[in-house]
Amino acid sequence: MPTQTIYTLIKQLFTKKATNPFPVKYTPENMHDAAELIEKDELEINPPVDVPPNFRGKLKYDIESCIGCQLCVKVCPSQALVFKEDNTVRHYVNRCTFCGQCVDICPTDSFEFTDEFLMAGPEKLYEDLVLNP
Amino acid sequence: MNFVLDWGIKFVLVLLISLIGIFLGLLYKGFDRKITAMMQSRIGPPLRQPFRDVKKLFMKETIIPDYAVPWLFNYAPIFALLPSLVALAYLPLGPFGPLMDGYGDLILLLYLLAIPAVAMAIGGLASGSPYATVGAQRELVLMMSYELPLAIAAVTLAYNYETFSVGVISSEPVWSTVGAMGFVGFALVLATLLAVMPGELSKVPFDQAEAETELAGGLFVEYSGRNLALFYIAEAVKMIFVGALLIALFFPYQLSTLIDPWISLGGPTIPLLEMGLWAMIADVAFFLVKLLVIIYVGVSVIRVAFARFQINKASYFYWVPMTIIGLLGTLLVVLERTGL
Amino acid sequence: MSREKDTTYEVPIGPIHPALKEPFLIKFKLKGEEIVDAEPFPGMNHRGIEFMGMHRNPMEVIPLSERICGICSIVHQHMFTTATEHALSIEPTNRARYIRTIMCELERIHSHILWAGVAAHEIGFDTHLHFTWKIREKVMDLLEYIAGNRVNYSMWTFGGVRRDITEEMYPKIFETLEYYENLYEKLEEIFLEDPSIKLRTRGVGVLTKKDALELCGVGPTVRASGVKKDVRIDQPYAAYGDLDLDYVIPSRYGFENKGDVFCKTVVRLKELLQSVDIIKKCVEQMPEGEITSEPKKAALLNKLGKSAGEGIGRIEAPRGEAIHYVRLSEERDDVDCWKIRASTYNNLSTYAPMFMGEQIADIPLIAASIDPCIGCMDRAEIIDINRGEVQSYTKEELHELSVKKTKQITKGGVE
Repeated sequence: MPTQTIYTLIKQLFTKKATNPFPVKYTPENMHDAAELIEKDELEINPPVDVPPNFRGKLKYDIESCIGCQLCVKVCPSQALVFKEDNTVRHYVNRCTFCGQCVDICPTDSFEFTDEFLMAGPEKLYEDLVLNP
Repeated sequence: MNFVLDWGIKFVLVLLISLIGIFLGLLYKGFDRKITAMMQSRIGPPLRQPFRDVKKLFMKETIIPDYAVPWLFNYAPIFALLPSLVALAYLPLGPFGPLMDGYGDLILLLYLLAIPAVAMAIGGLASGSPYATVGAQRELVLMMSYELPLAIAAVTLAYNYETFSVGVISSEPVWSTVGAMGFVGFALVLATLLAVMPGELSKVPFDQAEAETELAGGLFVEYSGRNLALFYIAEAVKMIFVGALLIALFFPYQLSTLIDPWISLGGPTIPLLEMGLWAMIADVAFFLVKLLVIIYVGVSVIRVAFARFQINKASYFYWVPMTIIGLLGTLLVVLERTGL
Repeated sequence: MSREKDTTYEVPIGPIHPALKEPFLIKFKLKGEEIVDAEPFPGMNHRGIEFMGMHRNPMEVIPLSERICGICSIVHQHMFTTATEHALSIEPTNRARYIRTIMCELERIHSHILWAGVAAHEIGFDTHLHFTWKIREKVMDLLEYIAGNRVNYSMWTFGGVRRDITEEMYPKIFETLEYYENLYEKLEEIFLEDPSIKLRTRGVGVLTKKDALELCGVGPTVRASGVKKDVRIDQPYAAYGDLDLDYVIPSRYGFENKGDVFCKTVVRLKELLQSVDIIKKCVEQMPEGEITSEPKKAALLNKLGKSAGEGIGRIEAPRGEAIHYVRLSEERDDVDCWKIRASTYNNLSTYAPMFMGEQIADIPLIAASIDPCIGCMDRAEIIDINRGEVQSYTKEELHELSVKKTKQITKGGVE
């Protein structure tokens, strides 16, 4: 039964594939070795797709302008923000849900979204995953 | 003494063919997966993925469920694999004629084709899971359905050559033995065999016995480790078997003889086989390409272009439309042969 | 002595099964390949989201509510927000109403395309799964462009929305809509005309109009049987009141209102087109003005903690009508009570007549035909906060309670 589908399928055999091969086309044999090679710039990874203009990525916390009002701690749904004694907040990136309520409510705009989304670390409290430790 | 030596060589060659069969089966499975993925606009796995899968499965633990019948459960995968390997010895592979020519014919091949399906059904029934039981029932129903068109095709060919010997049938392409009417007849028979192919290999739209979304793997739901790997290899080898059978019956062309009028492939002659080296290499390559085309048309395209049928509709498909088409083909061949 | 053997046997589908994308159990009694009895057992996926919500203030619950379901995150966000607005008598601004409508409809497009792919996968047609999911990326990209992320959009706030749809965004929106309008014919070709799909969907999983009405099904599931039921028209919310909508039932497009899977596909595909139209109209009619009536977040947080009241939020989710009930009290900053009734809960009861007499092969397709979202539906744990006691309930008790509560809500709360 020749259907329209078969025609489309044979056409798709030769067109560009929809799969986004980020970061590499096939999973490497050993993830740790591959990660080390990437760090040393010896293994090239395929670039990720561009992020949209309003992207909610990793937070940037400006410790200087923070006045310690604790409003962000109150609206954080996942307790990713913890108030410290020195009138600043500590941010646990691994708990963050990127809802952006803290960015909205901050009276001094101490929080800001960045475009960074590659946030994997070897452990929960990896140095990059806690802001203002 | 000569007798022993002769059979000794044959034994070694059968082992060699088996190994080549397994290798080719897994390689073509990789091709199938890659091409399927590309047709669906995906990148797909690398070609060696099936080899990795088998390697991984052999390393995994083999679990036998409590409700299973252990000996049946364990022997079923072996009985699914062996017939396909044995059958390769009775088939012409590229430039090489059937190794066991004269010891078996098309009827034997039809039986060898049926055994893996039965073994799978037995394995499913022996595993004691309701999913596998339903899968086994479906496998048997499907087998009963596609055997009829398959038998019709075999009988038509045998009628044409007045023999069941595969060696004789493949010695002369079927298309040149008949006139226009017979040509159409054999085209219909070929269509029937191509339709039987996905059913024979349990591929979509006839994968009801496995039906991932319905039965969670059906027959193989309880299989793991080494047993599953054997089933996996069996499926791959069966694909080669069915492909080689189709080539032997309908496209036994050799590249070296096809292009002989223009270019003469010769090269150093190999002893025993009595053929030129370059001609042999060209013919083997041509055989592999033919196999790829057959698998692409009979498995890959159909697999991606159709939805899984319900079992009663699949059965109906083989019993009524395919049988009628097959019989029509037979009728045309018979009409031409008898000169009516 | 006659020894009549009972030849039926039982096959459980679930809680974990490839036919179901989420944990859920249906026990089937089979005779050969035919289904003689089907009984759904929900309750495999309790996540205690309502309980979590009752320990957070309303501002914190908004991001939580959108995580009830990965697909209809806008739906739950909208319902929780409107329920709280209802309780506090906050009015969203006009522009916000339109932006909300656009987002809801974009989500409907993405949900229906996703469903089509899942349905194709269930009948073993993976090619169309890959195709539909490929074209779904376009609307996901648009949602990402507007809201910032692909899923969990975080768009809603009390009194409006948090992100504006500006004029620079219009070209991209229109481009996406045009893309779907052009592709629509192809989708129809695949799902309504492909011989092997027609073979599998026609006359399978029939839900008669009588059953649909008696079992209180909602959404496309019952619209396919010809029941005219759509919250967007019956009780307009957001900007739907300004739009001229009509019920999407198969008979409007020259099909019979049979209620089989084929009709459900028709309804969903036509709704896709309807959504495109709605978005176009909304973008054209978008009023000027503020995007939220409560721009001061700190003051709003204060107000939420001090006020009391109860409210209802209703929505026509892609799967059908869904309701949130919210109660706030003066003593506690946190939400006092939060009850969710997702559309799948109603639609589950329609399984029984649909499965009867069908084959095993049709189970996944029929199960998928109501577009079940178990994650939305299963979530209760009852806790008496005032007494500080945690009471555990059996599934049956919980079920009864939930039914009772749903009845109370629909009787008392809805105007």
